[in-house]
Parts: sequence; C-alpha cells; structure tokens
Amino acid sequence: MTQELIEAITDMREEDALEITKQLLDNGTDPVVILDACRESMTIIGKRFEDGDCFISELILAGEMLSEISAEVKPRLQQDSDAKKIGKVVLGTVQGDIHDIAKDIVGFMLDINGFDVTDLGVDVSPAKFVEAVQQTGAKVVGLSGFLTLAFDPMKFTVEALKNAGLTDVKVMIGGGQIDENIRQYTGADAYGKDAMAAVALAKSWS
Amino acid sequence: MFVRPDNWNKMSPLERRKARLDAWQSAPVPFASSEAEANYKERIERLRKIYDMEPHDRPIADLFMGANEYIVRRKGIQGKDIIYDHEKLREPVLEFHREFQPDVSVAVLPYPGKPWDMLDFKTYIWGGQKLPDNLAIQAVEGEYMRADEYKDFAADPTAFWLKQYLPRAYGALGPLAMLPDFTRISESVDTIDLLVPFGLPPFQEMLKRMMDAGNELMRILGIVGQTGAMVAGEGFPAMGFNIVKTPFDYLGDTLRGTKGILMDMYRHPKDLLAATEAYVPVLIKSIVGASDRANAPSAMYVLHKGADGFMSKEQFEKFYWPTWKQVMLALYEEGITSYLFIEGSYNQRLEYLAEMPEKSLVCHFDKSDMKRVKEVLSDKFIIAGNVPASLMATGTTDDVRACCASLMDLFGDVPGYIMAHGCYFENSTDEKICAFIDSVKK
Repeated sequence: MTQELIEAITDMREEDALEITKQLLDNGTDPVVILDACRESMTIIGKRFEDGDCFISELILAGEMLSEISAEVKPRLQQDSDAKKIGKVVLGTVQGDIHDIAKDIVGFMLDINGFDVTDLGVDVSPAKFVEAVQQTGAKVVGLSGFLTLAFDPMKFTVEALKNAGLTDVKVMIGGGQIDENIRQYTGADAYGKDAMAAVALAKSWS
Repeated sequence: MFVRPDNWNKMSPLERRKARLDAWQSAPVPFASSEAEANYKERIERLRKIYDMEPHDRPIADLFMGANEYIVRRKGIQGKDIIYDHEKLREPVLEFHREFQPDVSVAVLPYPGKPWDMLDFKTYIWGGQKLPDNLAIQAVEGEYMRADEYKDFAADPTAFWLKQYLPRAYGALGPLAMLPDFTRISESVDTIDLLVPFGLPPFQEMLKRMMDAGNELMRILGIVGQTGAMVAGEGFPAMGFNIVKTPFDYLGDTLRGTKGILMDMYRHPKDLLAATEAYVPVLIKSIVGASDRANAPSAMYVLHKGADGFMSKEQFEKFYWPTWKQVMLALYEEGITSYLFIEGSYNQRLEYLAEMPEKSLVCHFDKSDMKRVKEVLSDKFIIAGNVPASLMATGTTDDVRACCASLMDLFGDVPGYIMAHGCYFENSTDEKICAFIDSVKK
C-alpha cells in the first residue's frame, strides 16, 4: 500500500494521498514507513523536475501534501525519527527583496533531501546571515533574490561572510535574474538555476 | 482619445489597426523646435514601419523596459524620490534624452506615492514607506480573494472588484463593501438602496478621502504629463501602450497569489476556469476602453504565471492560454496590437503564440531561446529583446556590445525587430547605455 501512496503523491492526487495515509495508519503501519514513502516520492518528483517534466505548480502541491501527511503521521511517532541530516544550510531572501516562493521551494527540496535548513525568511540583512551561520555552524549558505535590486545585497552578504572570517562557507545564489554574470559580480561560489541545482550544489559541498 | 472613423464597422482588423496607428502617429505634440519636430517624425516613422513590418533603415533600441529607473538614478535620484517627488524627476529625464538621443522616449513609471498613503494601499510597498529610501517598489503577494469566493467573482467580476477586492487592497476603501448591487436598482423605491451608503458617515468620509487623493493625483499627473509632453516635444516618441495582464495573471498576481492560484489548478479547477472565462468579456471591454482613452495602439501584457516551469503544457492549454487568446483575438478585431512582455522563459509556449494572426503581436523576450524565437515567430510578429539586466548591471561595456551584436546578427534581416532588455535594472553605466543605443546604428 505504500506503493499506492507513492503513486498518489507523484501523480499529484492530493485527496487520495491523504486517504491512503489515513488507511495506512489505521492498519497499524509504522509511521516511519510512511515518511520513507514520502521521501521516495520526492526523490521521484525531484528527478522529474531536473528532467523538465515537473513544474513549480507540482512542487508546491507536493510540498502541501507532505506537510499534510506529516501532520497526520507525526503525532503517532514514538520518538523523533528524523533521519540523520547530511549537512546544514542557511537560507534566505536578501535584504530589500520580499519574494519567498522560490526560496521556499529551495528550502523544501533541501529539507526532503536530508539537509537541516535554517530559513531566515525574506529581507534578510548580511549581519543576520553571518549571525545564523555562526550560530548553526552551517557550511552552506543559499541567497535568494527575485529582483535586480538583489544583486548588491547578495554581494554585500558574500563580503560580510568573508569579513566575519567564515571563509570555509560556500555560498550559492539563485532567483529570477541571477546568472553567471551575477555570480562573478557577487563573489558567490555558484549559482543554481532551480531548486534541484541548489540541492546538487549543497550535496557537492557537504 | 481615439475616435473611430464613421466606416469602423466595415473595416477589417488590419484596417482598424492602421487607423489606431495613424491616430497615435499623428497625435499633436508641442514641439520645442523645428529640429525636434523633424527628429520626432523620423523616429516615429521608423517605429511605425517596424510595427507595420515594412522595410526600414534599421531596428530601434528601446530602453523603456530596462533603464526606466536608471535614467534618473544616474543623477542621484533615490527610489523614494521616484515615488514621492515627481517634480524632481523632470530635469534628469530631460537631460537623459538630450544627452543620449534614444530612438524612443524612456519614462519613469508615474507611481502616486501620496495618494497611496492617503488610501492605505496594501498590495505594494515602496521607498519612503516600508522599503528603504533607495528602493522604489515591490509587490506584496497575498490572498485578496479566498478560494470559496471564486463563485462570487465568476457571477459578477466587476462587483467583486468593487465591493470585495478594493476594500482589501486599500484600507481606506472599506466602505465600498456597503454599495448595493447596481443591476437590481430599477423600481421607484430602489433609489433608497442606491443612496443609503452615500448618506452614512463612514462612506462619506471615504468619499472625501478619495476626492482628496484624487486632487493629489491630478497634481502628480499634471507634473508627469508635462514632463512627458516636454520629452515628446524635444523629439522623442513614446511606444504607445497601456499595461494589462492575462485573465489568469489578474487572478493569480492580484487576487489569489502565486501559491494560491497554482494550487487552485488542482483543488478548484472548475471554479478557476469559470472565473477566467467570466473575466474575458470584462477585460476586453476594459482594455478597449483604456486604449481608446489613451489613444494607445497597443496593450502591453506583463506575463507571469504561464511561463515555462510554472505549469505544465497541459495546464497552460487548459487554464492559461484559451482565455488569454480570446482576449487577444478580440483586441485584434478592434485593431489593438498585443505587446507581450514575456518575463522568464517561454521556449515551450512559442507555438501557441504562432496561432495568432499576423501583426497581432509584439513579442518581447527575457530569457527565451532567441534562435527558436526567430524560427517560430519572426515572420508573423514584431520581435523585441533580450539583453539581460544582469549584463547591464554587472557586465562590461564590451559584454553589452557583444550581446547586442549577436542579436543584430540574428535579427538584422527580420521584418520587425526592437533591441530591448529582458528586465529592468537599477544600476548600469552611461557607457553601457551608449553601447546599447548605438548597437542598432550601422
């Protein structure tokens, strides 16, 4: 039946996915098995996204389904069964920019791929990024920005991290108008064109 | 104001298009000198030939969708000034045109900061208000219509906008919700329903505030209009369009938010479709009216949620394209050209655009594959784009020159091409702007 759950999630059948989850729980299925099925679903969806066969609408819906399933499953977990995290990432939309959709998708994809994500939200100052990296010990920082006005705040954030002595931290940037020109301008280590690129970069650095 | 000729009903779409372009091209301009007049006529004639896809001496370079803030920021103007101090913008705008002699005028968008404050406008934030002074403006995504209100919207989009959306978008306009349903006011006693809100203190206070904001707006438009007339009078024609959106983007950008509308395709597909369909006649009437009032031959769509990556082809075909196409075809019938400002990538959408009639579109690209654009669209439509904003902001002058040169190589032989940016930028250099402008001059 977990295979049915995986198919419901990957076919974007929200109501079916929730119904199957409830049936699995009622039948006494271990909640950990259900969460593993969710992770497997997201691996499939992530691969499709990478191949251009999945879209933002589907990623957002998948995120909604997973949070709804988690809400059903987590109260029945014996203990916190979170799998071991493979690394820490500090993420945020840079100062002056309040767009969050792409940042949220990146955070979600990093999370389901095993990263411990500290999401600082939007309009985040360079000082807040520095503080969060110092507090969490994260080795990867993701800077998001939708507008062209994000170019300078990204550059200032990269500089602030260096000035704080956090030279071993890798910085990736992404967003609507971000490209290789902006990577060079900001001094970031890499730019990712989408959420799966962000996951691949974070994995390569962890 | 565009006045339809007497034989309008007998004219074909392309004859109507010609009538609108003629009216735009011959609109009176207070020329500063005979030299300015000659320059204006030469420039608008070149643009006209591009719009008509007829032989002309060279493409034009249009800075409007890229440098509209840079032209004043280069003189130290801040975002806050763009919103609040329209008088302060005049000299930098005029100076830019005199110094750079662009092919068409570049206008700073007329943001009415003080009226926004007076009406407690909520769907944007701006410099001098909630954004730092150096920034101009950003949209605040939100859910201004709940999913369970789709049926209200589809039943009467105009009433929904008036009585539900506007009170949510402007804090001071809450009393609009008190208005009656106008289409029920018919019998003698219905005058009571019509007038009751107007007799109540909260509604009267709102009307007074709207009138005060309206007076302030007229003051701003006076300044902005004078600047625009001076720019035209010194020899620089405007592109001639109103800004509009597709039915799906009005619902998504404005009412439901990105996440909301993308989820609605799964959770409320019938309601969403009914709403986009109900929107079509309302939107056509509204755009035609606005085009007439402004004597604008084109309607410029800022395109958002139909781009590659946002939704699948099947979803585009079901939710986005049919109603948008209906609107564009209706505008075509009215002689209005649809100017598409295509944000992001549209590589998977080009074949849909190709379904439209010849000369019905100007297709302005941001991140699409321009070789495919040429193959699929350049025989039928005017093409514009796509020098990256990132290059204008952070590249070298040689980078800009090389990018423009490759676009000229690609589009030098098509019937209508406009060198343009894919997105606006705040920062650049005068040298890069010159390289962009000069790139179309052989």
